[in-house]
Amino acid sequence: MRIGLVCPYQWDVPGGVQYHVRDLADTLRGLGHHVEVLTPAEHEESLPDRWVTFAGRTVPVPYNGSMASVQFGPVSASRVRRWLREGHFDVVHVHDPAPPSIGLLVCMIATGPIVATFHAATVRSKWLAAWGPVVRPWLEKITGRIAVSDFARRVQVEHLGGDAVIIPNGVHVDPFADGPTLPGVERGVDGPTIGFLGRYDEPRKGLPVLLEAMRTLLREHPGARLLVAGRGDPDALRGGLAEDLRAHVALLGEISEADKAAFLRSVDVYCAPNLLGESFGVVLIEAMAAGAPIVASDLDAFSRVLADGTAGVLVRRGDSAALARALSDLLADPARRAALSAAGREAAAAYDWQVVARRVLAVYETVVLPGAGEVTATDDEAWAEVAGVTAPTDGVLPSLLRRVRR
Amino acid sequence: MTPDAWLLLAVGVVVLLLAAWTAWTLTRLRRLEARVARARAVLDDRLRHRAALAEDLASGYSAALGEDRASRLKTAAYEARETPAWDRELAENALGRELRALPPDVPGVPRELLADLAEADARMGLARRFYNDAVRDTAMLRTRRLPRLMRLHADRPLPRFFDVEDGLDAVPLGAGVPRG
Repeated sequence: MRIGLVCPYQWDVPGGVQYHVRDLADTLRGLGHHVEVLTPAEHEESLPDRWVTFAGRTVPVPYNGSMASVQFGPVSASRVRRWLREGHFDVVHVHDPAPPSIGLLVCMIATGPIVATFHAATVRSKWLAAWGPVVRPWLEKITGRIAVSDFARRVQVEHLGGDAVIIPNGVHVDPFADGPTLPGVERGVDGPTIGFLGRYDEPRKGLPVLLEAMRTLLREHPGARLLVAGRGDPDALRGGLAEDLRAHVALLGEISEADKAAFLRSVDVYCAPNLLGESFGVVLIEAMAAGAPIVASDLDAFSRVLADGTAGVLVRRGDSAALARALSDLLADPARRAALSAAGREAAAAYDWQVVARRVLAVYETVVLPGAGEVTATDDEAWAEVAGVTAPTDGVLPSLLRRVRR
Repeated sequence: MTPDAWLLLAVGVVVLLLAAWTAWTLTRLRRLEARVARARAVLDDRLRHRAALAEDLASGYSAALGEDRASRLKTAAYEARETPAWDRELAENALGRELRALPPDVPGVPRELLADLAEADARMGLARRFYNDAVRDTAMLRTRRLPRLMRLHADRPLPRFFDVEDGLDAVPLGAGVPRG
């Protein structure tokens, strides 16, 4: 099958959607399909291979305290058109098509089977509520919609119309499953360790709750250590630590992908004390793949990933006493740790890219009608796009222009 | 210009805008109609495929399944295939229930056939969801006030949802919302 993937975010800037598209493309190619990617990038020369096509640069637009990247106009449109014409795709798969980016351009220009994945990583609902009706005429052309989580699906149903099947984010399970451990920290050998990963100075990640729980925990497990990995200000964290905790908290700083896997393989328990909703708990899947027993707060996304507590322990969010209890019980019970570790590995297997990519492939096969031909670029729609910039509301001008051309 | 001329101009602009909007909406309706038709074709194909596999199973391995179950399965598959296209949710539901009641491993039946059946069932679920999605988009546009008022749909019937149980788990609205 010839597949065209569209990533609306700059390829050479780290981001969840970019990694998702990259891994999906790699896995599908491994399954013997022809896959091409169209993406903007900061530097054209940074694009890896000939299968990634440069779609220009995005314009950062300050929005609601963060930056949204916008890319819209005749130049981008002509790049999209050329990519569609030269690709001869059986199906085009757009990621996050709602913002004014090449994703939306592809929806406007392409005719044929279009699949879209809604990540809902960067969009806010206030913005979507106003923008949804404007782009609906083009999102209507999408034949198969995928949401990566319940949350993403809900956003999609509420603001953009239509329904979506849920296919979760994938994880490469194997690199996490086997490999070396961190030096001096071996699971079950070097004293009990608890792992925390994430931007530790963000309150919503919940590190303060965990530190509070550590205090109680140390009474029963005086040798326990907390390993904190991720970005943040180390001095501020160390300064805020009470005297009795200082010896038991180790800061590893920001770690590489390989070190992250080693870190997750090393800790006796992985703890995710997050206070606020993560749209998807990728790190939990990675921890499960690495065989780390998990104690996590009972966010909806987490309890779904942990199969309602059968693949990990769920604790009421923000409750440090309950967290201490759960951690302490788990550290005292090697048999339960082993059981959770096994259950976690099994649960993680369902998120392996090999499995996830096959489910995405099933979606492609559902939208591609045999013998219906490839995706084409419509000139008609190009006019709509040019006009859409000036008068997006209700698409009055597009049809006007079409009339004029006839 | 005289007030009359202004009025004429205003009416002219309104008529022009209305015409443009109508043309655009008709384009959308045409696109949606094609999308519904394609999705329907895929759904029909998936349903037929599932019924055919079920019939193979029932006729080829009736001994392994037990006479009772085999005959029920056969009837369900037959009903699903023979019922007219627009009235077959009940028949398909009966077949789906029979299939989902099958144990994952029946001695004497090749595993591949059972796996194929499960796969066919899941793919039917996908096709159904995409079809209903297309119907929903159509309904949303057609039930808006202006398209209804102008009878842009002519007298074409509104496409019907196809509702059967599928293997996909329903998600209650409200799940996964971040709470402060």
